[in-house]
Amino acid sequence: MRHLTRQVFNSGKFVVGFSIFVGILLIVIIYPILFPYPPLEIIGQGNFFPPGLYVNVYDSIFTSHYILNLDDATANRIASKLDSEDRLAIQKWLTASGFPESEIDIENTAQLLDQWTNNFDPTKRFPGMTNADRNYFIRLNNSLKGLLSTEGAIIAVENPETASLEEAGVVAQNDYIVVNEVPNVRLLPLGTDNFGRDVLTELVAATKVSLIIGFVAGSIATLIGLILGLLSGYIGGQVDDVIMFFTNLLTVIPSFVLLILISFSIGQEQRGAFTIAVVIGLTSWVWTTRAVRSQVISLRNRDHVNLSKLSGHSISYIIIADILPYIASYVVMALILQISSAILAEAGLSILGLGPRTTEVATLGLMLNWALIYQAPILGYWWAFYPVIIVIALIAFSLNLMNTGLDQVFNPALRE
Amino acid sequence: MKGYRRYFVGKFLWFCITLVAAFILNFTLPRLMPGDPVAAIVSRLAQGMSNTTGVQAIYEQYAELFGTNRPMLEQFVLYLRNVAQGNFGFSFSQYPRTVADVLRASLWWTIILQFPAIIVGWIVGNTLGAMAAYRKGGFDKVLMPISIFMSSLPAFGMAVVLLVLFGVTLKWLPTSGGYGFDLIPNLSGRFIWSMFVHYQLPFWSIVLVTIGGQAIGMRSMAIYELNADYVRYSRFMGIKDRKIVGYVFRNAVLPQITGLALAIGTMVSGALVAEIIFSYPGLGTTLLTAIRGQDYPLISATTLIITIMVLVANFAIEILYGFLDPRIKAAQAD
Amino acid sequence: MSDAILEVRELTTKYITRFQEDVYAVDHVSLKVEEGKSLGIAGESGCGKSTLALSLMGYYFPPLHYTSGEIIIDGQNISGMKPDDVRKSILGKEIAYIPQAAMNALNPTQKVIDFIEHVIEAHNPSATKNEIYDLAKRLFEALGLPAEVLQKYPVELSGGMKQRTVIAISVLLSPLVLIADEPSSALDVTSQKMVIKMLRNLMDKGYIKAMIFITHELPLLYNVTDDIMVMYAGQVVEMASAEKAVFDPLHPYSKGLMGSIIVPEEGLRDVKLTAIPGVPPNLKKPPSGCRFAARCKYVQAECTATSIPLRDIGNGRAYRCIFSEAELREKYDREARNNG
Repeated sequence: MRHLTRQVFNSGKFVVGFSIFVGILLIVIIYPILFPYPPLEIIGQGNFFPPGLYVNVYDSIFTSHYILNLDDATANRIASKLDSEDRLAIQKWLTASGFPESEIDIENTAQLLDQWTNNFDPTKRFPGMTNADRNYFIRLNNSLKGLLSTEGAIIAVENPETASLEEAGVVAQNDYIVVNEVPNVRLLPLGTDNFGRDVLTELVAATKVSLIIGFVAGSIATLIGLILGLLSGYIGGQVDDVIMFFTNLLTVIPSFVLLILISFSIGQEQRGAFTIAVVIGLTSWVWTTRAVRSQVISLRNRDHVNLSKLSGHSISYIIIADILPYIASYVVMALILQISSAILAEAGLSILGLGPRTTEVATLGLMLNWALIYQAPILGYWWAFYPVIIVIALIAFSLNLMNTGLDQVFNPALRE
Repeated sequence: MKGYRRYFVGKFLWFCITLVAAFILNFTLPRLMPGDPVAAIVSRLAQGMSNTTGVQAIYEQYAELFGTNRPMLEQFVLYLRNVAQGNFGFSFSQYPRTVADVLRASLWWTIILQFPAIIVGWIVGNTLGAMAAYRKGGFDKVLMPISIFMSSLPAFGMAVVLLVLFGVTLKWLPTSGGYGFDLIPNLSGRFIWSMFVHYQLPFWSIVLVTIGGQAIGMRSMAIYELNADYVRYSRFMGIKDRKIVGYVFRNAVLPQITGLALAIGTMVSGALVAEIIFSYPGLGTTLLTAIRGQDYPLISATTLIITIMVLVANFAIEILYGFLDPRIKAAQAD
Repeated sequence: MSDAILEVRELTTKYITRFQEDVYAVDHVSLKVEEGKSLGIAGESGCGKSTLALSLMGYYFPPLHYTSGEIIIDGQNISGMKPDDVRKSILGKEIAYIPQAAMNALNPTQKVIDFIEHVIEAHNPSATKNEIYDLAKRLFEALGLPAEVLQKYPVELSGGMKQRTVIAISVLLSPLVLIADEPSSALDVTSQKMVIKMLRNLMDKGYIKAMIFITHELPLLYNVTDDIMVMYAGQVVEMASAEKAVFDPLHPYSKGLMGSIIVPEEGLRDVKLTAIPGVPPNLKKPPSGCRFAARCKYVQAECTATSIPLRDIGNGRAYRCIFSEAELREKYDREARNNG
């Protein structure tokens, strides 16, 4: 046994797969301890906030301000407001108004703004310029005006008696705060989703639920497959015929179709994560049955099994003592594959809208489903779907790698 | 030829049995669930639609079509007769279109998308897998992890990645639909071009995912065959390496064909979900709208069509296999 | 030029493992087979006898590599030839091979006749299908195989039939030397007998001029071959006529090997049960001196000091041991007396 373990861990593929999988497991276990946020809590008002450090504006006004005179502050401020499209638009307007093209450098922000403020005239029209274009330039001009001001922003407080605004303070352009001193700061490394939930926290919770679904479904499928495969392979005869008839039937009839029919019939209200896991397990045992059966048939007439039969051991004893140890490696490999395909099946079902109820738990499939319903891929909200897909792929990849590694250990012909 | 006929008859009988089983499952599974299906449907209808005359018409149609208050067996006979006539009733969610009408439109989209994609993926994957097994070395070391990773990515995941990369970021290809939304299906060059462009992303997401799995399978089979005793014997009888490689790949590809027959259901299921990502007007998207609209007759008919499609594909592959593996004819001859 | 059909001088070949280690599985082996004679090669599994069989073909593919030495067939040195020339003009024509697992030696998806066509086309591209069929049919009938076998797939043939078909294909081009690597080990007794009979028949009828037969079952060798060579850890440890090697072995390893395998006479049962204890050395790092020393009952300090040469004692006999013939015989006699 120890020798076998060492051999398994000598397989590079297995080790890589195992490390990734253990890494995912550790994150799923440790993250909720470090950050005990409720995963389904809606914190964002609005959908798909971008990833980043969220600093409370109100608090930052009233924490201590420090004055830092940094040379590039103005340039940065302007640059962040003036994207490359705006720069090109300015260049277009200037050249159209007869400004020499060679003097325009769209990378030189200060010079560009200077040229713009000195030359822009909202009444000017050029051939081919639509009304929409003209309005765009006017809007652009207005937004740039504020940028060039060197005045601070005034903070006003409403006087409850006179209902008029009174100056409470000024935020200068060179005022800074220290993030650590702001009492309310929240890091959202993966932003928020369509409901305004913290995607990272939700993702960790969803990974956990999906792994549980995979494990429950995989165990059910492996158990059924193991029992049927043993019965079919060891007893043979009519038992074998009957079991193989159903196994072959369910091999060709796509299990995903059965999953859809059953999940739909259960109805939205009854579909919990556990129910889905059981349904997936009940529809995906055929491959394990086939694999176990063929292994058992090749073992059935080995010497040690015959000896055990001659010694008068019972069928259950023979199966446990003389057959199971020899097929254990195949069963483990089958379980690994079942887990990975169950996780994918849940994701597929959820995308179809037949996954677990949304309100109770998050699963990887549900997260993807909502991201798709809200068209996150097309709108460019990558944080709502890429991390989910990466996690699904990593789980499946690590399990497949482990399986390939085990396969190479147990079937030496596959080693190079 | 006698042996082949026997094989064919055997496979055909099995095809018929699976077809009957598929009908039975499709009929019974939804009915096995607790609760009164009619009541459930009525309550869903009430919240799903605003057109009350439509609700009434569908309800009557449904009650008559499925004979829900008759005994199970009678219902089944009725169901079979309706299916045979291609009569699946009205669609709840797309009233007044009939289910048959909705499916007729989407079935062809799925067929022209999935089968070429699966076949291309199968051919490319097997070629790469065979090369990895034969050349070994760097090619193998690079190709195998990539293949394992690609086959781990579900088809819908690959679809999202391609969609964002080529559709959103690079803007090379359209992101959704089967053709431009401003076009009406016809045979003009513009429409065909639009179809072609919309075809690319769904097609390649299925192809890429298929390649990974097939390459891994073929590599294992080819390594197994390359170490077979007949390879060594043929070499020592002076047969050219190129010819021996021919033997090996022919023998390695045979189990890959059987494998395809067994896995086609899983592949089609995966590809259906990928269709949804691109709002491709095939069966996958139809299924999604049916589920969102709680459109029971449409769901039932779509799943039935998908099953039949898979069974036919499976049967076709088995028949083809009979031609390709000479042992089939030989082994069944006596 | 001698009348040897096959002569091998100091042949050394090695395996290169995936960790780039060299394993010398055939280490300076020399042998000679004359026309009309057969040579048996015996040894435990892993002693290099099967590798020697592969090495004799002069056609190497990884992980097996040629290192040094000469292989001379009918006066022609093939060890320096280009691989493709060896393939075209030597393999199957001058030297043919019957593999260890003849059960699986035929491509399962090919009719026997199709394989025969490929074999002949590889050496004679101008042969027509009809000529090939006639040739194959004549040969099969002469060897007592029904001509229908030609039109069958290997799955349709029984184990013994498959084995005999492989033998027939191997001698299709009338090779000078036939190398049979444990051709009968997977068969039942009746089929075994048939295979042996067929092999002897091949020599008698002149389909082949010489034969090398590799096995671990010594009774088989005694019945089939003229001479026997015993190998241990990649080296030749004894060379003798079949009679002498089986009933009067000199090297302690041969002695142990014969004792452990041969069906004993009455009263010698105890000897039969004494299989040689221990395992062969790791050829990645072969021990200096005698390679059998670790398992030898008569081992002395000198055994491991320097490498032991093969001692030629005339009459085609040679052995690799520091003891003289007389010393060895004395040890064996004493032991026989002690065993009562």
